Amino acid sequence: MPSGMVMQAARAIAARQRICGRILGVLLLVLLVPSWVAAQPSDLVARLSTERVAITTAFTGESILVFGSTEEPLGPGGDEVIILARGPSGPFVVRRKVEVLGLWFNGPAARFEDVPVFYAVAGTRPASRLLPEEILVQRGIGLASLPLISTGARAPGFRTALRDLKQSSRLWQEDAQPIEIAGSRLFNLRLPLPSTVQPGNYRVEVMLVRARRIVATEQLGFIIERVGTAAEIERVARTQPVLYALLCIVLAALAGWLGSVIFRRN
Amino acid sequence: MLVGIGFAVGWLSGLFGVGGGFLLTPVLMLIGIPSTVAVASGANQTLGASVSGLIAQARRMNVDWQMGAVLVAGGLVGSVVGVQIFALLRRAGQVDAAVAIFYVVVLGSVGTLMVMESIRAIFRRSRAQVSRRSNHSWAHGLPLKMRFRKSRLYISVIPPLIVGFVIGILSAIMGVGGGFMLVPAMIYILGMPTAVVIGTSLFQVVCVTASVTFLQAIQVGGVDIVLTLLLLLGGVAGAQFGAAMGGKLRGEETRVLLGLLVLGVAGSLLWDLWRVPQTLFSVGPAF
Repeated sequence: MPSGMVMQAARAIAARQRICGRILGVLLLVLLVPSWVAAQPSDLVARLSTERVAITTAFTGESILVFGSTEEPLGPGGDEVIILARGPSGPFVVRRKVEVLGLWFNGPAARFEDVPVFYAVAGTRPASRLLPEEILVQRGIGLASLPLISTGARAPGFRTALRDLKQSSRLWQEDAQPIEIAGSRLFNLRLPLPSTVQPGNYRVEVMLVRARRIVATEQLGFIIERVGTAAEIERVARTQPVLYALLCIVLAALAGWLGSVIFRRN
Repeated sequence: MLVGIGFAVGWLSGLFGVGGGFLLTPVLMLIGIPSTVAVASGANQTLGASVSGLIAQARRMNVDWQMGAVLVAGGLVGSVVGVQIFALLRRAGQVDAAVAIFYVVVLGSVGTLMVMESIRAIFRRSRAQVSRRSNHSWAHGLPLKMRFRKSRLYISVIPPLIVGFVIGILSAIMGVGGGFMLVPAMIYILGMPTAVVIGTSLFQVVCVTASVTFLQAIQVGGVDIVLTLLLLLGGVAGAQFGAAMGGKLRGEETRVLLGLLVLGVAGSLLWDLWRVPQTLFSVGPAF
């Protein structure tokens, strides 16, 4: 039957292709062994202690543990690990106060687009000593390589001020503490999240560095979200402002009236 | 702590017979609550605190609804304009300083007037005093006259519209009801009889703070209903205790105390503007 023959021919071609593919794969493997094997995912395994952080009204900050292990020994002369965590980005305005008639007012301002609300980088050694400048810039590793582009006031002081303010509020951290190494293959980093941390999706990148190159990367993430009644109220206020505004009026009027009734009886 | 502040301010407002909004909002700002939230929630709290007073006054037929409607008409327009000014100031990053300056000016002058007036009153206590209302002020020469039966007035609607408008703007920017300025304006500018002044001003305060709450919540997003309810909880309780105690105190002495308190709040706000800031730079989300 013609159709059967076609099928058989197709199967034969497919089989040949599979063999070819396998040979090609092996060839590639042999050729690329030194760099390719090194980049195998099993070379680096990393996890987070939690994937969800809840902000309640009593939230005073929390810390997340980033931990993992490597195939090759860590430390001086061996592999190194860099951990980079960043939160959602948004526009920020930096203002400088000026004195007018003895009083202090907000004066010139610079607007920065795409500023991460949270940014933390740490390494088994400072990242700037582990990787060449262009990789740092390309991967956005380190506060110096954040592309902070501003509009408005041009003075470099605004960029520095943004960095200083974010760092003093612990929303930006650079080499706040080194990654701890245990038994030369296990590593961990306690990532402190201050109470002012914003809800959103946070990315954590764990990078394995060997000979001034990133040879393996593990992408992790966690979510920070508001929970409880306060979060519910905040959500209504954001998504249905008209309803929320009317509710505020009615609730305040009701509470004031009720309160006066109750306390007058006493 | 917020319930405590509500209680303290409510106690003072009951003691002195004032609205309390003009103390509450600056105190919130002084403890570090952003001025957008302090103003919007302050207006919302004043709404709640004034409702029961309005109901009581309405029952006693002390509200001139007709005059109230004219004042509210001006007040609603004023609150719309005020919230626009507020939103503009916020975009320019000047809202904190602007609100503080409004308070320093208003509280400074009100406090000074109060202290001076009551000191004068204390010295003159022996002499009988006849205060005269100017029944024929400039307000009588304007067009668009209207008869206000309850207030026994036949005046132009322009002055009450302007009074309502100005109070509406102040209410939107300062987060107050404005009773402390509205009452003297109604007595001295409009020449209304004192019996209906309190009730009618409460009507205006309730309507305008409701409008400010609505507009602030929609445009600026500063209304924090949890904060408002906590403040109300303390405020309503405090007002009853304050009112009970206020009956035992002499008018002039309490007025001096209130005047000094008002001056104190104005002074600390001025100090915040005056002193060299610890950090010259500030960072905030862009709008």
